[in-house]
Amino acid sequence: MHNLATVFSFEVMRTLKKKTFWITALSFPVVIGLVIAIIFFSSEATEKASLDTVNQKFSLAVTDESKVIEPQLLTQLNAKTVSSKQQGIDDVKSGKLDAYFYYPADLTKEKVQVFAEDVGLFDNNRYQGTAEALLAGSVTATTDPQIVAILQKKVGFDSKTYQDGAEYDGIKQMIAPGIFLALFYILIVMFGSQMLTSTTEEKENRVIEMILTTIKARTLIIGKILSLIVLAIIQIIAIMIPILFIYFQFGSQLSLPSVDLTNLPLDPMRISIGAVIFFLSFLLFTGLLVAIGAAVPTAKEAGGFFGIVMTLIFGPLYAVTLFISAPTSTLVTFLTFFPLTAPIPLMLRNAVGNLSVSDALIGIVILAISATIIMAIAIRLFRYGALEYSKRLSLRTLFVTDKKTSR
Amino acid sequence: MPKTEPLVTIDHFKMTFGNQTVIEDLSFDIKRGETFGLLGANGSGKTTTIRALLGIYQPTNGSLLIDGQPYAVDSGVQLGYLPEERGLYKKESVITVMIYFGRLKGMSRADAEEWSMKYLERVGLADKAKTQLDKLSGGMQQKVQLGVTIMNNPSLLILDEPTKGFDPVNRRLLMNIIEEHQAAGATVIFVTHQMEEVERLCDRIILLKDGKASAYGTIADVKKKFNGASLDDIFVTIYGDPTEHEGVDHA
Repeated sequence: MHNLATVFSFEVMRTLKKKTFWITALSFPVVIGLVIAIIFFSSEATEKASLDTVNQKFSLAVTDESKVIEPQLLTQLNAKTVSSKQQGIDDVKSGKLDAYFYYPADLTKEKVQVFAEDVGLFDNNRYQGTAEALLAGSVTATTDPQIVAILQKKVGFDSKTYQDGAEYDGIKQMIAPGIFLALFYILIVMFGSQMLTSTTEEKENRVIEMILTTIKARTLIIGKILSLIVLAIIQIIAIMIPILFIYFQFGSQLSLPSVDLTNLPLDPMRISIGAVIFFLSFLLFTGLLVAIGAAVPTAKEAGGFFGIVMTLIFGPLYAVTLFISAPTSTLVTFLTFFPLTAPIPLMLRNAVGNLSVSDALIGIVILAISATIIMAIAIRLFRYGALEYSKRLSLRTLFVTDKKTSR
Repeated sequence: MPKTEPLVTIDHFKMTFGNQTVIEDLSFDIKRGETFGLLGANGSGKTTTIRALLGIYQPTNGSLLIDGQPYAVDSGVQLGYLPEERGLYKKESVITVMIYFGRLKGMSRADAEEWSMKYLERVGLADKAKTQLDKLSGGMQQKVQLGVTIMNNPSLLILDEPTKGFDPVNRRLLMNIIEEHQAAGATVIFVTHQMEEVERLCDRIILLKDGKASAYGTIADVKKKFNGASLDDIFVTIYGDPTEHEGVDHA
């Protein structure tokens, strides 16, 4: 216990002292903030530029065979009407006009044609924008506002669904158990590489002989895994604090969607199942990554396996619609109960509410057994692969060594 | 304590790696409190024997016991081991690594820190206590590793080629440290092919060749067996042909 605590505190403290830990943690909300800011300012600038463009004055002539355009709008734009399409095109070509719009008789079959002087890639948008605005304005002016709202999809809806007689919001129900899925994804993406290389360090630094003759391999590995879990929690907090700060402080200015947490449904059963699956999944993949790190000689070589592990974990996300629409299909059942693909389907199905309690229990048992086996293998790999400084430890070596082990 | 009771007993030890036999059949013992020289050319099986004794390798056959049992970290043996492969956590400071190992060896944090600072002062590295290990020279790193090895007064000190890479000044410092542990009653296993160090420190020796003992006993006994020749000459006599002991793996 003393040595476990020593390994744990050593691993935690030295990681917390690394700049890369904090850069990784803080870069996540910073990047999210930057992306939101870029989108916000970009859309604002584009909107302003579009308005400026549309409002720019230019000489215009129109031929309206559709009879849709309101003459009053043409007057506001100082646009003249011409009867000959060719005349309008010729006037643009000769520079007498900046633009000419031709509205055909049947707008459902033919295109509106815009002829105009080139004023640059972005500013050219003002011509089509004005042609569209003329159409929209004319229709709005002559149509029932309700029909306009329907056509513009501006009609609001308030839907309520019921389950067992009580109101049930499937989307809101997903949020609390779905947090575990998001956490798992973030942790593996951000921490996977560190898990993978956590045991190669002893090999690469040639410190392993001193370690193995001072403490048990099991103590070292468990200490490292516990430290990774705590570091992951610290990293989540480091990520979430700035995100929550930005959300609550600047959410309205950035037009972020408001979430009413006061009415968030909390299903204790689904949340508990989600938490257990999350913990076991994290343990399973930590063990797997540590085992790979223990079996190969260098961090660089360990890195080569990272893609394979990531594919195993997150590959099932490609079948996300299947998990929701056909939860009893053979593929979904296989992915849900195959240990290396189980975490995402289990957490996702638990979040959307189609994971039965019996399936959840089977999944939890599979994950628990798999995590235990993987952990045991990771410890053996570290123990017996310790001195394979320059080559990978083969499974044959591992199990032959194991058979001979009498201590 | 009389140097008669065996602390280490190696009985019919055999070690193979794949098709390669590194140790054929080796039996010897090391008395409690003595300094024992494990000698041999490169590839003769010295390091393999030490690793098997410490449970890092599993022997193909035979038994290797310390205090009557296979070595385990919780077997109660206060071990100080300086392996042939040198290295520590290079991105950590000297004092952090020393305290870490001191704690793993059962010392309190305060004791480990106090001991480390005294040791660093002695070996001229006190001003480097907070320096990252990979910023130190190879010799300095070795001194830190030696310090880690002898922390918490080991009763069994195993030093695998400890003078490798040391200049004469540091070699003398190392010899003094070993002698202090001898005087304190520690059992020392000294793996080397530096014969002058063996003559100075060892009570008994074993010379390995091709996985077998070529000579075993007190230095006087071994010399007598080879008609009074020096250890250097005995070494040359045993390993005469340099092509016979080149580059054997796992040794």
